[in-house]
Amino acid sequence: MTTTARPRARAAELARRQAAGREARRRRLVMWTGALVVVGLLAAIAVAVASASRGDGTAVATGEVTAPAHATADGVVGVGRDDAPVTVSVFFDYLCPFCGRFEAANGAELERLVDSGRARVELHPLAFLDAQSDGTSYSSRTANALATVADGAPDRVLAFHQGLFRQQPEEGTRGLTDQQIADIARDADVPDAVVDRFGDRTFVPWIADVTERAFASGISGTPTVLVDGSAFSSGDLYTAGPLTEAVEAAAAAR
Amino acid sequence: MHRARRPDTAVWAAMLLGSVASLVASLVLSVDALRLAEDPHAALSCDFNAVISCGTVATSWQASVLGFPNAFLGLMTEPAVVVLAVAGLSGVRLPRSMMCAAQVVYTVGLGFAYWLFHQAMFSIGALCPWCLLVTVATTSVWFEMTRINIRQDNLFLPRGLQSALSTAVRLGVDVVVLVAWLLLLVLAVVLRYGDALFAPAAVQG
Repeated sequence: MTTTARPRARAAELARRQAAGREARRRRLVMWTGALVVVGLLAAIAVAVASASRGDGTAVATGEVTAPAHATADGVVGVGRDDAPVTVSVFFDYLCPFCGRFEAANGAELERLVDSGRARVELHPLAFLDAQSDGTSYSSRTANALATVADGAPDRVLAFHQGLFRQQPEEGTRGLTDQQIADIARDADVPDAVVDRFGDRTFVPWIADVTERAFASGISGTPTVLVDGSAFSSGDLYTAGPLTEAVEAAAAAR
Repeated sequence: MHRARRPDTAVWAAMLLGSVASLVASLVLSVDALRLAEDPHAALSCDFNAVISCGTVATSWQASVLGFPNAFLGLMTEPAVVVLAVAGLSGVRLPRSMMCAAQVVYTVGLGFAYWLFHQAMFSIGALCPWCLLVTVATTSVWFEMTRINIRQDNLFLPRGLQSALSTAVRLGVDVVVLVAWLLLLVLAVVLRYGDALFAPAAVQG
């Protein structure tokens, strides 16, 4: 009996050891593969972070800061008479959906106030939503186009501004093409010579600069509307009326 | 002896942690949604911090697919997972059918979480930190639940598949996949939002 049991026990012992060895090998394989994958991914993340913080992003300013004629260094594109009693400042980004709603509610009112000489509107085009137009930097492209119009055809600024908001694209889309932006400008009677300069992106660095200044000065989002320098927060920005009333009250107080 | 009796203590604990994190994030998001409903002006502007700008995530149709804020789903479902995890942690062997049902429901939840993540990344163009926490916590909980269900043979799988999966789990393949998965999420966010996440440095440079 012992003569048959011993080889059998030895065989079982051998099989057990082989199985344990196989298990250990597989465990090591999983561990090393896992370690490789993790190290690879960590390296990829490090590279992505490094390249992002170096700022090789799409429309980040690279050139010299040149302000358009008829605009101030701190980013104002003015519309209306300099001697108007009240100044309305509007900070916006052409991709910001709430700015579109503000414009839809109050654009015509502001135009009326400007035309009647009761108010001067100071447009502050900002570009901080570039990341949300699927890589096309819509905010910078449109803000640059507005600055170019301010530079070359200042009396067409308001019409072009309104045209851009009338066709405002949704966030997360590629936005309007350069061609479509040019068409809006032509529809607003901006001369071809000015429209042809949109593609130069001359004022993109200026836009980046004024965006940074606006936020450094305490503007925390868009739309922000100031009446004679103080925040208009007494009423609803998204219905026509309250803003006009505030402007007219300020004008009457003069 | 203790380890042999309850080898899954760490897994249950991780599941508890993940489900509590998800529950807290859902609570924060639900409160936000209620505030937004009370005062529509609260988020009616675009914040400078572009990545979480515009209240876009909260006001998009994707944020309330079923007609109420998605975060309410977390409030309804995560407590059940917390209870499962606490029971498992204290050594209760839960019925097979119950764990299998939990797996099915949670898998649907995971799919939903990733659909939302995808929408936020590619359609809405904005991320919110609490939504990201939900995505990460849900992923982690799903892996722990799956691991336990495979080890306990709760899923009514064909024998061949069950034995292959339990070998994989025994070797720790699931841990490797989970870690790689979470790192892939980080990579996706950095690739998509890196410029905006590091915007101040980028504008200066």
